[in-house]
Amino acid sequence: MEFRENKAIYLQIGDYVCEHILLGKWKSEDKVPSVRELAVSLEVNPNTVMRTYELLQNKNILSNKRGIGFFIAEDAIKQIKIYSKIQFMDEELPVFFRNLYLLDIGFDELEARYQKFVKETFTNP
Amino acid sequence: MITINNLNFGYSKHNLLFKDMSMQLSAGHIYGLLGKNGAGKSSLLKNIAGLVYAQSGSLKVMGFDPAKREPELLADICFIPEEFYLPSIKIDAYIKANAPFYKKFDYAYLNVLLEEFNIPISNKLVNMSYGQKKKFIIAFGLATQAKLVIMDEPTNGLDIPSKAQFRKVMASALTDDRCIVISTHQVRDLDNLIDTVIMLDESTISLKASIEEITQKLTFKKMKELDETVIYAEPALSGYNVVVPNFHQEDSKMDIELLFNAVIAEKKKLKPIFN
Amino acid sequence: MNNSFNFNRFWLLVKRQWLEFGKIYLISLLVVVGVLILFYAWNLPEPEAEKGYRYNSEGFLYLSFRIPLFLTLGFIFISVIASGYFSLLGQKPKAIIELMTPASTLEKWLCSIFYTGIFSVFSFLLVFYITDLAFVKYIDKTIGTITFSWTSGVHPTPKTGIVSARTFFNDFFEHDEIKSMVVVPFMITSIFLLGSVYFNRFHYIKTAVVVMLFLTALIYTLIQTANWMTRDKMQDSANFGFSSAHNEFFIYAMVGITAVTVFLWCVTFFRVKEKEV
Repeated sequence: MEFRENKAIYLQIGDYVCEHILLGKWKSEDKVPSVRELAVSLEVNPNTVMRTYELLQNKNILSNKRGIGFFIAEDAIKQIKIYSKIQFMDEELPVFFRNLYLLDIGFDELEARYQKFVKETFTNP
Repeated sequence: MITINNLNFGYSKHNLLFKDMSMQLSAGHIYGLLGKNGAGKSSLLKNIAGLVYAQSGSLKVMGFDPAKREPELLADICFIPEEFYLPSIKIDAYIKANAPFYKKFDYAYLNVLLEEFNIPISNKLVNMSYGQKKKFIIAFGLATQAKLVIMDEPTNGLDIPSKAQFRKVMASALTDDRCIVISTHQVRDLDNLIDTVIMLDESTISLKASIEEITQKLTFKKMKELDETVIYAEPALSGYNVVVPNFHQEDSKMDIELLFNAVIAEKKKLKPIFN
Repeated sequence: MNNSFNFNRFWLLVKRQWLEFGKIYLISLLVVVGVLILFYAWNLPEPEAEKGYRYNSEGFLYLSFRIPLFLTLGFIFISVIASGYFSLLGQKPKAIIELMTPASTLEKWLCSIFYTGIFSVFSFLLVFYITDLAFVKYIDKTIGTITFSWTSGVHPTPKTGIVSARTFFNDFFEHDEIKSMVVVPFMITSIFLLGSVYFNRFHYIKTAVVVMLFLTALIYTLIQTANWMTRDKMQDSANFGFSSAHNEFFIYAMVGITAVTVFLWCVTFFRVKEKEV
């Protein structure tokens, strides 16, 4: 896994875990890799992975079964979407809005573009 | 694990390398020891291992005084020096002669590590390259199951794939009852591996904080224009890489080189933030 | 776990040190054997043109090359071995691994004395003894049976017998004074062992120079003191005290040498204990 420039490592690992769940690589109610396994495969400090798992537990994406390990919550996908939405709203939207403002892009134009994008990308044969 | 109180150390009495140094290190962490050349990183590690003796102050490692060089403590320390020498014998002969000193020695784990590092056990130590020898003593040292692992510039001499193997091995070596201290110049090799930074500068510890604490207090980011909040800045491609106080609970990624330079250059501004 | 001495750990250390020490030791020992064989082969007794074999009043062949050979070779062997033992501690990269080996300083020190003071001295004696014995047997066989008779002032009646060779140690320890010198090799090893931990490089040369300077100073002082004490005095005995206290002198020498040896060993212990890298 390549780490990006400017986001805390433990959050990037969180994205990595969420992505695996969303893509169905790790299934609902399955056990996720142990802290050690994930730390080894990502070459990071196990305490960092622990911090990620604790964060995801707080977000109700993972659940901790004492002595056994971390498991993917039943409604993990729903929780990830909530969590990702907050992240998107807080982090990426302000940048996007700033550009809209600076480049004088109106909401009408934006909406047309958006509809076209959805049609082309997600409603293919 | 390690308690240092008011330690004074120098190779001559008039020129002390550490003045009144105090610090505590505990198990379950990988400490990254940073400092300029000659700041005394190796000397601090040697003090902890009992290879040199301090002028005054106290130093306790797992309750022992390392200067006494008691076998019970020595068996619980894995010290990987920057430069080392291995006798010109075969690997298995070396293991046979040295492993029995360590009661908890894990032969199976050693084989796993040697395999991970691609070192055949029938090799003669003298015919191996510096990097291979280094990987061998790291593997041997970790297989002793020592509670304290001290490494002086461990990634020196390792090629790119070996560095990745090293990071994997170290990530798996950290257990709750183990304390790992790594000194390094090559901060980029290890920046995701260490969880606590110890910085030596001007005969003292100028910073000792976990990465979590550092990123809670400081933000590392790019800025187009400098303003008065900036603690330290370095010119970058489009603007500046800066260290600023973390006013907005931002979760940035620590840039360890930038932090290092900031600590060296702006000691006065950083001190109040971390105390 | 005993942190000062544990026999099991000591034995592990002996085995571990053998890997490093054994190589130099075995090579040196091989050289010693080679030199011994060469010297014996060169100096095999041969009958002289008129007198035949040379032998003493007891009918033992003269093999006088043996004493200097024994002393010189013995000195070189045990001093070289002792001088190499702690040389590892002089080089940082090697010293770290040695010092971090989980054995106590006492065990490391005892191990050094075992190898340099006991093992090397006795192995030299053994090698010398075996080589000597083999040649003595060989000489006895080759000269065949030669009878002799010897007349001298001590023996009014001629002494007769068969000419033969005698082993070196029987020759050497004929005199009681020599017996008291058995402690000397231990002192030699203790000096060079201390040199190996005291100096970081060129242990052998530096130790040898220091010992020579020390001996020169010692002899000079002794002569000066003796001169000063005997100035304006008459010598009243031709024997100069040797005859009356003959055995006592050697006992004192033995005790003195033993004391110096033990003292140097103790100094070595503290040097190892305080070694920093």
